Amino acid sequence: MGSESLLQELSPPEVGIDIFTMVVLRRRFEAIIGEMINALFKSGRSGVLNTAMDFSCSLTDANFQSISLAQGLPVHVGAIDLIPRAVVDKFGTDIHPGDCFVNNSGYLGNTHCADFTVCAPVFVDDSIAFYVIARAHLGDMGFPTPTTYGPRSRDVYEEGLILPCVRIQKGYKDVPEVIDICRANIRVPDQFYGDYLAVLSAVRTGESRLKSLCGKYGADVVRTFVDEFQNYAERMARTAISNLPKGRLSKEMLYDSETELYPTGIPIRATIEVDPDEELITVDLTGNVDNLPLGINMTESTTTAACMTAVLNVLGADVPRCTGSFRRVKLVLREGAAIGKPKFPAATSAATTNLCHALIPHIQSMFADLRGDLGTAYGTIGMPGSCAVVSGNDPRGDRPFVNQLIMGYWGGPAMSGHDGWLTYGSGASQGILWQSSVEVVEQQQPIIIEKLEVRCDSAGAGQWEGAPGAECVIRPRSGAVRFMVNSASRDHPPQGVAGGTSAAPMQIARLDRDGQRSELPISVDAVIDVGEKLVSEGCGGGGFGDPLDRDADRVLQSVLAGRVSEERAKSIYGVVLVGDGAHRKLDYTATRECRAGMRRGASA
Amino acid sequence: MNVQIAVDVGGTFTDLVLQESSGQIRTYKAPTTPGRIVDGILNGVELIADDFGLDRRELLRKCTRFACGTTAATNAILEKTYATTGLICTEGFRDILTVREGGKADTYTIAIDYPEPYIARHLTHGVRERMNSEGGVETPLDESQAIEAISQLRALGVESIAVCLLWSIANPSHEIRIGQLIEKHWPGIPFSLSHQTSPTLREYRRTSATAIDASLKPLVSRTVNELEARLRDAGLEGVLTLMASSGGQTAVDEVIARPINLCLSGPSAAPVSARTSIKAENEETCNAIVVDMGGTSFDISIIDDWQIPMHREGIIDGHVFGVASVEVKTIGAGGGSIARVDSGGFIHVGPESAKSVPGPACYSRGGTRPTVTDANLVRGFLDAGNFAGGTMTLDLAKARAAISEHVAESLDLSTEEAASLIGLSVEQNMVAAIDEITIKRGVDPREYVMVAGGAAAGLHAVPIARELGIKRIFVPPVAGVLSAFGILVSDIKSTFSRSVPLSTNAFDFAKANEALATLVGEAEAYLDRMKAPAGSREIQFSAEARYRGQVWQISLPFDMRRFESQADLQRLVEAFHQLHEKLYFVRSSDPVEFTEWTVVAIGKLPSADLKYGGAPSLPVAEKTRRSVYMRELGGSREIRVVDGTQLAPGTVVQGPALIDQPLTTIVLYPSTKATYSANGGVWIDLH
Repeated sequence: MGSESLLQELSPPEVGIDIFTMVVLRRRFEAIIGEMINALFKSGRSGVLNTAMDFSCSLTDANFQSISLAQGLPVHVGAIDLIPRAVVDKFGTDIHPGDCFVNNSGYLGNTHCADFTVCAPVFVDDSIAFYVIARAHLGDMGFPTPTTYGPRSRDVYEEGLILPCVRIQKGYKDVPEVIDICRANIRVPDQFYGDYLAVLSAVRTGESRLKSLCGKYGADVVRTFVDEFQNYAERMARTAISNLPKGRLSKEMLYDSETELYPTGIPIRATIEVDPDEELITVDLTGNVDNLPLGINMTESTTTAACMTAVLNVLGADVPRCTGSFRRVKLVLREGAAIGKPKFPAATSAATTNLCHALIPHIQSMFADLRGDLGTAYGTIGMPGSCAVVSGNDPRGDRPFVNQLIMGYWGGPAMSGHDGWLTYGSGASQGILWQSSVEVVEQQQPIIIEKLEVRCDSAGAGQWEGAPGAECVIRPRSGAVRFMVNSASRDHPPQGVAGGTSAAPMQIARLDRDGQRSELPISVDAVIDVGEKLVSEGCGGGGFGDPLDRDADRVLQSVLAGRVSEERAKSIYGVVLVGDGAHRKLDYTATRECRAGMRRGASA
Repeated sequence: MNVQIAVDVGGTFTDLVLQESSGQIRTYKAPTTPGRIVDGILNGVELIADDFGLDRRELLRKCTRFACGTTAATNAILEKTYATTGLICTEGFRDILTVREGGKADTYTIAIDYPEPYIARHLTHGVRERMNSEGGVETPLDESQAIEAISQLRALGVESIAVCLLWSIANPSHEIRIGQLIEKHWPGIPFSLSHQTSPTLREYRRTSATAIDASLKPLVSRTVNELEARLRDAGLEGVLTLMASSGGQTAVDEVIARPINLCLSGPSAAPVSARTSIKAENEETCNAIVVDMGGTSFDISIIDDWQIPMHREGIIDGHVFGVASVEVKTIGAGGGSIARVDSGGFIHVGPESAKSVPGPACYSRGGTRPTVTDANLVRGFLDAGNFAGGTMTLDLAKARAAISEHVAESLDLSTEEAASLIGLSVEQNMVAAIDEITIKRGVDPREYVMVAGGAAAGLHAVPIARELGIKRIFVPPVAGVLSAFGILVSDIKSTFSRSVPLSTNAFDFAKANEALATLVGEAEAYLDRMKAPAGSREIQFSAEARYRGQVWQISLPFDMRRFESQADLQRLVEAFHQLHEKLYFVRSSDPVEFTEWTVVAIGKLPSADLKYGGAPSLPVAEKTRRSVYMRELGGSREIRVVDGTQLAPGTVVQGPALIDQPLTTIVLYPSTKATYSANGGVWIDLH
């Protein structure tokens, strides 16, 4: 792109915003979102909220253009514009200063029902200039059972409280009826109200900062900046796409099934078309199966966010995640598809996890077929048992508890040049979630974590190795505890690409009083009694490239770190070690011979 | 004549500050001698001795107190030269240092490598044992396994051992026992126990702190003992103290026992320095944002109503060091930060740095990419012939070429405009970093003074302050040696904590009072060891507190030695509500939980009437005029250059102007006014 046309775009004559102002306002917007996040982070109540950072703050202008998404969960913010759109669709001109709307409906642009999303208009000079949005995954949202995901739900009526974009504040004061309904439906009403105040404090902080910003720089300048920023992001995306090879690819994978409709696995299908001439990428998901009688159907919000996340991951971290760059990604979705837009009354409470976890790396993996150094392997799909929603009664203080643990959410995918990121989890969060402290978990719930360590040989092998999953053992201290988990990756663990191997399957089991192990189903709802234990074995991430090409010293390091067994080092990587335990070293000669033999075997 | 000497050893310069018995302050700089830092310190002492016409031994004999800041600990962590250290942990939790706490700096950067743990997994041994959150024994300690772990670590040749067990803060008996076993089975090997090093909730933070502490023990005792031996050998008879992360000084023995307290040895002195400098100006209030700008890093700290906030989230190279430290935020932004333009036409400055080699293009050391220093030269802010106190000549043509090729051409700007844009961009990075620390603290910068120190302070202070809405900037007379002066004037200080969880639901007064009494006892014993006179002692209290259900605590200062009644407790709770409301806008009626109690022991320095300046001589001395490019002036203009060393108190310099000082240039933009104070400090007012 020539500098002449570039300057014209940066400095439209009518407003005269220059690059100096662009630099300053970009920082200001990042600071405002940072302030919103900080307000929410430190005052939230439920564990998943204030330890795991399972929340996001964002904003759009009056035309629903998002600005800086750099600081949220990818699945949360990839389609944030749907939230203010729902407010305007429903309330039209009946939107006033001091209003705040709450939405947890997957049919009105929300991600899934456990994400409590609030949105407030920001008025400047008597008209709406922005919308500020805060979204938090609450510990309980009034689901029929004490969890926040219902992979087995058959329709929306089995998913608990619905807040279909309703006004929760008017004139900066709570609408008491809405609060009352929430409190009456949610198991931990005080915790809920504390979380609500935290979310509210985020949007009110954003509102006040945006007003000051417009006051200082002028609303017109700020508005123009938002437009210009979209143009900049679009240019970045265009350049990145223009450097990709042209091609059209289709691919299908199978996802662990819990429905008789697909006994061997639910197919996930995608077609991507990369057009470097038009500087456009198209993702077509219309070939996917119809809505399932399960809660794993994706919502428009999560399907869109998943596609944007995957494509932009390939385009690189430098491309801003906002409306402008999203303009270079064309999505073709079908209403009534499990991966697409849900058709009422399909259940969607697990829309941010299961199929979403699979779809993101599925799209990324296709780019590896386009060119060998692009894309990634598959990362963790579904939640491990160590990320259970636990509930019961805490005898210390005699009060009920319900909370989601975020432990051992590991297993990142490998990619060209890099091993998987350990605490990656899935592509919906790609490493942004904080892992709960064992001590904080035990202080807040009457359970003991007996083990939380890397699970040996769980990662997919490759020239670049997937990150391992976690082995975790949990037992109740003084009373039965209910564990609910929406796992996956058992029949179809995360795959490797470009010659990399698949990760180990995810397992969740009960150990009874005698130490007898019995496997639990993919969607766990189990009461573990005192004396029993829950065992969680997380899958790792898939590998990338041929394991025989892996640097032998890195294989030794993985063995020393307890990630790879000596047997696997030899059988998969062709690496031979000598010595014992921490004193093991490489046998270079034997390794060279072993690898040469394995290569001959492979080509024979 | 008696003197006191303070030293701050930096990467390039060793800064020294001398205080005479009259209160007169003198400042010096000597080159740092990497790898042999004591040589640099002694060279600096030599420099002072020459100034007084004494020999070094005579000067050191007169020195009653020698206070030292050292980056020995920080550098060992950054350069991974710390001792090979073993870790003993609870069985089943060998990956704590690898997992850390999750999270990722940038959500969208996935093509990166996961960081290595501070102690490798094969040097980590789990031992069967377990406490629960109330300190009850779930599984007794398997001593034979602990002994086996010690012997295996010995076979692996570790030089130090860290021990961190789950819930040792609730019941340390297993950790204590392992400590005894180490002493018995491997006498002489240094070790650290987590409940002593950092008695704080959250296993990662405690383990990390303990690992760092243990890993520093061999090196710190070596370097500190060498420092002391050589200073004594050179004639020092007075007290030797070291600057700790807490923003106070402590004795050599204390540092050797807890080297983790050295992690922020130098930077923690900057706010102390700023506070004393402001006090010397007879200011009634002190709310300040303190910035220290050098060639590679930009450090920020806060003074809130004369108090310097502490935190426990200090991080070096990604590792949390956990102990209470002055909150200093550091970003990689300075003269060496490199500017680039991306394919969409947006400018980025840093975090990549040209460092000192190859350095900015204008250094003529082979650098070809434009840096902030190049931009400041092109704008006319720097004097090409008189850089870094005249020690270096800069090449303007090279700076122009680099900016023109990499920034100006792709954005279709003039070279001067592009230089301005680079300046603005790095200033925005600095503003963002200040935003982060002030937002977190609930601080409104508009009500704060900015104190600017370091070589690059004067170049960028005004635009940063303007962007933040700050109305006054203070450049202290000791701006060039900000931290060294802070080391000179900092009190004796150490922190003592206990993890005693209590809730307002059922507040156990006896337990709280017992914890406070124990901590006060430890504090007094420390002050005894430090020989702090009774009248100089101060004890400060704080609790880590949160609402029930929250998992992050905030530090709540209070002023009661004992809780006598419900009314005392109510005062504490109300103070928590107010603090929470200040920070997060909301308060709650939920019970308040206290997780940790902290006592800070302070031995105040005797107050001295410090005199900063030499004898000032002239009214405004206009050196010359220089052509500078400022967008605020509509382009390039000749503005006057004032000699900052020659100004009398009360002198007012109106912007636009440049004030040349030996180690920095102050750029006065239009609508600013600088006033010289009696101490030789510069107050800049922004309108």
